[in-house]
Amino acid sequence: MTASGWEQLLSVLAVAAVSAPLLGRYLAAVFGGGKAPGDRVFRPAERLTYRALGIDPDSSWTWRAYALAVLAFGLVSTLLLYLILRLQGHLPLNPTGAPDMPPLLSFNTAVSFITGTNWQAYEGETAASYLAQMAGLVVAQFTAAAVGLSVALALVRGISGSRRTVGNFWTDLTRSLVRVFVPLSVVGALVMVGQGAVQTFRGFDTAATLAGGSQTIPGGPVASMEAIKLLGTNGGSFYGAGGAHPFENPTGFTNMFDLLLVIVLPFAIVFMFGRLIGHRRQALAIVAVMAAIFIGHTVVSMQAEVHGNPRLPASVSQAVTSTSPGGNMEGKETRFGPEGSALMTVGTMGTTAGATDSALDSYTPVGGAGAFVAILLGEISPGGDGGGLYAILVLALLAVFVAGLMVGRTPEFLGKKIRAPQMKLVLAYVLTIPVVVLVLGSTSLVLRSGTSAILNPGFHGLSEVTYAYASAANNNGSAFAGLAADTTWYNTTLGLAMLAGRFVPIILALAIAGSLGGARVHARTRATLDTSGPTFAAFLFGVIVIVGGLIYFPMLILGPIGERFAG
Amino acid sequence: MRRHLVASIVMLVGLTVLLGFGYPLLVTGLSYLFFRHQAEGSLIYRHGKLVGSQLLGQTFSNSKGDPLPQYFQPRPSAAGYDGASSGASNLGPSNPLLVGFVAGVNTVGLHGAPSPRNPFATKADPACVPVTVRGTPVTSPVPGQRYARQPDGAYVCDPDTIPERAIAYRQFNDLPGSVRVPVDAVTASGSGLDPDISVANAVDQAPRVARARHLPLAHVMALVHRYTQGREWGFLGEPTVNVLQLNLALDELR
Repeated sequence: MTASGWEQLLSVLAVAAVSAPLLGRYLAAVFGGGKAPGDRVFRPAERLTYRALGIDPDSSWTWRAYALAVLAFGLVSTLLLYLILRLQGHLPLNPTGAPDMPPLLSFNTAVSFITGTNWQAYEGETAASYLAQMAGLVVAQFTAAAVGLSVALALVRGISGSRRTVGNFWTDLTRSLVRVFVPLSVVGALVMVGQGAVQTFRGFDTAATLAGGSQTIPGGPVASMEAIKLLGTNGGSFYGAGGAHPFENPTGFTNMFDLLLVIVLPFAIVFMFGRLIGHRRQALAIVAVMAAIFIGHTVVSMQAEVHGNPRLPASVSQAVTSTSPGGNMEGKETRFGPEGSALMTVGTMGTTAGATDSALDSYTPVGGAGAFVAILLGEISPGGDGGGLYAILVLALLAVFVAGLMVGRTPEFLGKKIRAPQMKLVLAYVLTIPVVVLVLGSTSLVLRSGTSAILNPGFHGLSEVTYAYASAANNNGSAFAGLAADTTWYNTTLGLAMLAGRFVPIILALAIAGSLGGARVHARTRATLDTSGPTFAAFLFGVIVIVGGLIYFPMLILGPIGERFAG
Repeated sequence: MRRHLVASIVMLVGLTVLLGFGYPLLVTGLSYLFFRHQAEGSLIYRHGKLVGSQLLGQTFSNSKGDPLPQYFQPRPSAAGYDGASSGASNLGPSNPLLVGFVAGVNTVGLHGAPSPRNPFATKADPACVPVTVRGTPVTSPVPGQRYARQPDGAYVCDPDTIPERAIAYRQFNDLPGSVRVPVDAVTASGSGLDPDISVANAVDQAPRVARARHLPLAHVMALVHRYTQGREWGFLGEPTVNVLQLNLALDELR
């Protein structure tokens, strides 16, 4: 890696290291139940919402009621979004003339945005109207993020609280939106517009080019979508090229700003967790594990991409010089270069955003494997908004259990005993996504309707297919985009993978919250396993890597590892 | 469940109004207030006519698609610099359509079976990927396939592989064989709309542009340096040269 690569990586981490704890403190105040900054501004808006919904904001529910509300909200949101997409051609605010989206593609797209996956099998410029993007997709991006954070809050209450209830979904959802996602998005969007991101309701303009031809210039409310796409760890872009598009990500500064927006909230939510349970060292241990994995996969990819593609002829210079970015530049923008691209693209893979600024399909095998590994480890570096926290807490329970077995003690986490009922839920959680990925992925490889969509031959083609399911089931949404995924088979199965990958873990996380809620909190003794020190952090890291490795290693051998060593 | 469904509907209707319309309208209003030029797409007008956007690359070719020597040329594009269909090639790093037939990596014989060497190699391009008489590249040869040939009998190669682009770049810019081609000049960008090229790429093109415009090389190089944008804050991103701005400035010289 070059000096500027390190500088970009370390500067993003440094800014996150300062802002995430501060934001975490704010979040803890907002969701801790007491007074919070901004009460005077936000309270009235919240009260109005509660009155419209006809709910008592202070009532607290069982995990079952909470889960039912999440599912009901997901169902209604999906239906509404499906209708908007199906009818967009007949609705107003469609200056580019996008036609109604076909049924299966609408299903896939609706599910994709409601689950926060933002897998995009359509072309943003021509296949989605401004209305569908604004009033459909953007609303889904807000709610998906807020639902993730709400579920995490419920799990935190269950794990740490002494009551059997886990909170009130409508209160959590409202507060997340009013006090976190909307204000941050407005600020983020304005910073991006200042740098050159587009925010207009003009449709296509036509320019008369210098060479005497003509060029279509797109428009659209882009920056407002870009902000919540990133802050909400969604990843779905206004344009087909996503974060590579100069109208979305115009400069080297916005490239790093985008990455920061993606990772800051998931880290902040862990700091919030530490404050809410009154045990800030515990949060530090988790943040350390997340950051170690984040640095691991980004550095590997950055190094691989700046090293370049060994298959290019000697007549092409991939050397990094003061006048050339060098490296593997296929599918990458000049203003980001190979390292800036890999840092942003693979950096966001550790979250459920999967917001790419370059074409993953054209990455070197090792560079692409960095993205693959980040997703397959379950997106905990630092994970989605809320999703990152509940995923790593489940893995922490697994680690506590394994550690307990090794030393022969009853496993305990935050003073609560972890027994068979909890472990059954934890194992179901850990196995859900691998089962979806491996079953659907391998089925696609033996079906003609699965293999005919592959663009690149050999090992790389296998990566395209398995990556699609890994990305969908983990609600990431990035793609080895050569795969022509707008087909009956892929629209349907990827849609199902997204649904299972989102709602099964949510229900299981809430069930764990319910089963731990009200459990007796044991006092710490000298025999209690410390879960907040470096030993446990290292142990948790090991459990994450070994579990992920055991499940996915064969698939990685047939994909990127095989490609790296072939020929 | 019914209670939750009703609350969900009320919530969503409210959110669609507030977040679906209110939020983008608020951001658009503030953007137009403070950053109108950027919000509209950093558009560039010449003599009152829209000629492009500072942020979007465009082609500098004649109607037949041949690059014009008097203009700096942008990077190859998988989208043809069409602002309505951004995107990358998505070709994998050992796909013959990208890197050609590389001996020992992806070479196949005339029958399509793996082969240690490339039977389609030409003198100029050992990685040549042949094309049909219609110009379609052939990566899975079958017996009986008819290929396009040059007058001397050698295969006609797919012009979009990186080795062929490198040959074309050297010819077009009259570069000696010892000069290696900057990688950004022969690879397609992620958006297909990359407005920039590397400084090395611009420097390699400058003598050709100067010749075509009958200008001293120093004048052209001065413009290249003027339109070179360094890393932001000294370390974010890479140094770039904006092709449209540079070419506009060249046209102004006349």
